[in-house]
Amino acid sequence: MAGPMIPKERSDYSAIVDRPPLKLPGNARIVFWTTVNYEVWDIGKPMARQLLPAPTGVPLMPDVVHWAFHEYGMRVGCWRFFELFKRLGIKPTLAANARICEEYPRVAKQALDDGWEFMGHAYEQGPIHKEADQAGMINRTMDIMQKFTGKRPVGWLGPGLTQTLETPDLLAAAGVKYIGDWVYDDEPTVIRTAKGPLVTLPYSIELNDIPMMLIQHHESDYLLKRTIDQFDRLYAESEKRAKFCALAIHPYISGQPHRIKYLEQIYDYVNKHEGVLHWNGEQILDWYQKARPKAA
Amino acid sequence: MSMHPRERLDFSPIDGRPPLNLPKGVRMVIWPVLALEEWDMARPMARMVISPPQGQPMQPDHPNWSWHEYGMRVGFWRMKKVFEQLGVNPTVTLNARVCETYPKVVEACIANNWELNAHGYDQVPMHKLEDQRAVIGKAMDIITKFSGKKPRGWFGPGLTQTFDTLDYLSEAGIEYIGDWVLDDEPVMLKTTHKPVVALPYNFEIHDIVMMALQHHPSDVMHTRALDQFDWLYEEAAERPKIMAIACHPYLSGVPHRIGHVQRTFKEVLAREGVVAWDGAQILDWYLAQQK
Repeated sequence: MAGPMIPKERSDYSAIVDRPPLKLPGNARIVFWTTVNYEVWDIGKPMARQLLPAPTGVPLMPDVVHWAFHEYGMRVGCWRFFELFKRLGIKPTLAANARICEEYPRVAKQALDDGWEFMGHAYEQGPIHKEADQAGMINRTMDIMQKFTGKRPVGWLGPGLTQTLETPDLLAAAGVKYIGDWVYDDEPTVIRTAKGPLVTLPYSIELNDIPMMLIQHHESDYLLKRTIDQFDRLYAESEKRAKFCALAIHPYISGQPHRIKYLEQIYDYVNKHEGVLHWNGEQILDWYQKARPKAA
Repeated sequence: MSMHPRERLDFSPIDGRPPLNLPKGVRMVIWPVLALEEWDMARPMARMVISPPQGQPMQPDHPNWSWHEYGMRVGFWRMKKVFEQLGVNPTVTLNARVCETYPKVVEACIANNWELNAHGYDQVPMHKLEDQRAVIGKAMDIITKFSGKKPRGWFGPGLTQTFDTLDYLSEAGIEYIGDWVLDDEPVMLKTTHKPVVALPYNFEIHDIVMMALQHHPSDVMHTRALDQFDWLYEEAAERPKIMAIACHPYLSGVPHRIGHVQRTFKEVLAREGVVAWDGAQILDWYLAQQK
């Protein structure tokens, strides 16, 4: 083979209507998958996102105010998340830059103590295309997390969902079992890598507070509105086949006082429905490994 | 010698931090900030409400210059009336050059006993200044001379700063800044000179971000501010909360938005235990807490 596989070579096209339905245990019909993202924004680099570009819009470094904006999430915002999920008894997936184990051990420790799933999310926040040694960065990320939690992560999300054509091969080699970056289906799928199969879980790029709030600039309550719209349709469809509703949140966005109540109301709404499971990525993976058609 | 933000301030999670205490009967503080700027016609305008046909930036940029100018000719006076009716004294953060180009506006602030806070000489990012120390000194001198009072607080133009800015600010006598939006409480920052306090500003309840950049409808000024307030007010049962609201006359002072700004202040100040303080008052309270 000349180079790394292109996506089409990793995964054959498959129409959802042609597939036998997957079945969740018991009366469960839909999984609500919450992913919390904790990141490190290095002041030595351009900040990952900007709310208020400098006057006249020129990009400038250092960008102290956006560093501070992110830091608010770790000092204040994330504690609103911990309180909410503890109260609800939900153990989300934590997509964390491994560097949080070094820079914010207090925060990482809380997630560990609360039983959250640690998912690999690069060493720090920056597109994976810019990594000089991608394999080295992936292994380092996995090693740091394994050392901190005592368990090697099984999941991976690219920083900003980025990956190159090689990335799935490097992830599988590092021991990753599932990824969230392929937002191409409502169900988990299996893709080919040079190091064996890798599962993709149905993550969402639209139920994500970065695109909704920082890029598309929707009003605070829109997080609730769009999630309800998404959930309602998936819930209706889940009568016939298992469905997954993924939601991704960041403490410097959804942990702000003017947004947190809408996040809270999402769970109030979802939990009024019968047959909803709050599973993290690892739980979905474990179920899928048993539930999926063996021939695939 | 530049200091990394981490060297100026250790990481501290709010969870488990001993709460500060507000005076008896006060549960929450609103910090109104009114920003006055100078947009030099010889440069690109700081913000644009309308781009030229075909989207190419053009200079001189008459439409956007006049958009800002409306704020000084009309919008400011509308906002002044609203603040007077509410009995609120905002912190006025001003480009020092405003004292030269719009003295009538600054005189009106002084007559109302509003706190003047330095906001650079004109609206240019700190990164673009050849000699930051000199510009900070010049800004401080102009405002001090004009008002007879040395500013205690500072906002970087567009909240910009470099790794050295805080040291220069401290040398110039600045006691607090608003540029670090990293906490719900004031924090103390190390400098090569005296420590500087970062007050809990935020730039999401901020008319430039909400209106000029994110393009929300006018009433989101009120909706988002109330969402922010309601949550903080609940939390303020356990520890004091401070909420900044940032306004610019060319945005908040226009007829279709001012009503939303007015009812925002009116509604939050009507709640029990809510007061409006300027930056200097918040600073003095915080410093007294440190003893």
